Amino acid sequence: MFWNLYLPLAGSSTNILLLFGLGGAVGFLSGLFGVGGGFLMTPLLIMVGIPSTVAAASDSNQIVAASTSGSYAHYRLGNVDFKMGIILIIGGVLGGTVGVQFIKLLRAMGNADFVIKITYVVMLGVIGFYMFVESLQALRQKPIESKRVEAPAKVSLYNRMIQALPYQMHFDKSGVTLSPVLPLILGVFVGILAAIMGVGGGFIMVPVMVYMLRMPMHVVVGTSLLQILFTCINVTIMQSISNHTVDMVLAIILLLGSTVGAQFGVRLSKRLKADQLKILLASIVLLVMVQMLVSLVLPPHLMLAHKGGH
Amino acid sequence: MKRMRHLSLKVAALGLGVLLAGSLPAWAAPALTVSPAAVQIGAFFHGQTVTISGAIPAGAQAVLEVVGINADEHLMRKGRRGMLWMNVGEIVVHDAPSLYLVMSTSKELLTAPPPDATWGYQALKPGIRFTGGIEPAEREEFLGQFFQLKESDQVYATFPGALKIGAAVGAESKLSGAFPLPTNTKPGTYNVCLSVIADGKVVNRTCADLTVEMVGFPALLASLAYQHGATYGVVAVVIAIITGFAMGFLFKGGGGH
Repeated sequence: MFWNLYLPLAGSSTNILLLFGLGGAVGFLSGLFGVGGGFLMTPLLIMVGIPSTVAAASDSNQIVAASTSGSYAHYRLGNVDFKMGIILIIGGVLGGTVGVQFIKLLRAMGNADFVIKITYVVMLGVIGFYMFVESLQALRQKPIESKRVEAPAKVSLYNRMIQALPYQMHFDKSGVTLSPVLPLILGVFVGILAAIMGVGGGFIMVPVMVYMLRMPMHVVVGTSLLQILFTCINVTIMQSISNHTVDMVLAIILLLGSTVGAQFGVRLSKRLKADQLKILLASIVLLVMVQMLVSLVLPPHLMLAHKGGH
Repeated sequence: MKRMRHLSLKVAALGLGVLLAGSLPAWAAPALTVSPAAVQIGAFFHGQTVTISGAIPAGAQAVLEVVGINADEHLMRKGRRGMLWMNVGEIVVHDAPSLYLVMSTSKELLTAPPPDATWGYQALKPGIRFTGGIEPAEREEFLGQFFQLKESDQVYATFPGALKIGAAVGAESKLSGAFPLPTNTKPGTYNVCLSVIADGKVVNRTCADLTVEMVGFPALLASLAYQHGATYGVVAVVIAIITGFAMGFLFKGGGGH
């Protein structure tokens, strides 16, 4: 049938409309909530039968395309801190390379699927829970002063720590002074996660830049997208060389779907309240996390599985 | 003395077997046509129904088997560690066909086969070997698990009664049937064998080849990905960047991650 497309790297045929719909649904959420959808895409692809290693690697390729258009748009608006971005990119490339080798080792040991799933459960659980609680508090209209009171105590300790790091330098665009060691380490961390999870890492990088690097929000989004772009370029190439798991046909269909879906999401987001959106997103994130957790906790239907997700 | 009695009983049984075999009618070889004889995996491949037609001696039953080449397969066995189920050891499966589809004229030939049947899963069992993280006592259990895994992959299947026998014309009956080649069929040559069954035994057999090959864009992509991984990666990135720019211009920056 015409609507079924053969994915040679995944080694099976999948319905184009299903893939386009998945891309569209994730893009819709991306546009609706103003966050990246990479962390939702890989689990959804796994759910429709794409081997997890192919899903994660192809999603990285898809994110290359998505973050290209985003970072270019932000560059034109002057929202990209290249100095910070380059350090994060170096860290991300190092982390991505380590992550890909780590996945290769895990595949050889037969634990790649398990590690990908458990990483997702932890990351989605932490982020979903944090977002849910934060938006619930906002919906109940709790005063935000309490947060502001707590913040300085943590900040001063944290400030002392980051000021103790060597090679302090000023980042003009972001208006912060700190050691490049910090963004380098954070870049490595996000790069490793990007390789394991097949995500750009935006949902980790944005809070990291805001809370740990103290960058202004408008610069954070543009710089994060630039960093994600280069991290995912590296992950895509490394996965292609080491694991042969990047299915570019799959990536392009997902991208086309997500770009169209994002347009509808953006339109709807203008009609909803921010906290309603956040709690909805948190619920979706937690739902995906619970689904993955259940698959790890419940006895499997079969006691045999394919090695390396193939 | 006891030994002598045993020996004479064996000789008598053998003689009876030879006598019975001699008294069976000679069953003609079945005719078999597989259509298409070659399946191509192209960009829109979604599995393929392969039809078979043929003729068997009137009054006989038949079994059709589609068999892929034997290959070693590396699988993981699952086990519980703490609260979580995970892979706990590797099992290598030797000499199991990569694809095994079997269909029969009479349902009972597959649902309740004779104990010494040379078709179906039970005929595969003696040839399959396991090595790695498995105890000899677990062999039977894991054979069952292996067949279930293969069935869930759609590369092993049984179709009892799916072969249809037409009305007898002279000494033979026409035979027809169809089997689905799954979407995840690997390129290669498969053996399609039609066996004539009489009195619970295979009395004659005819085989034909079924070729599956990857063609066109999927073949190009797979060859690039596996033989030139770095080039494939760079091409994937370049295409993604161009697509990203194109979609960005089209929708003015939508769909960012």
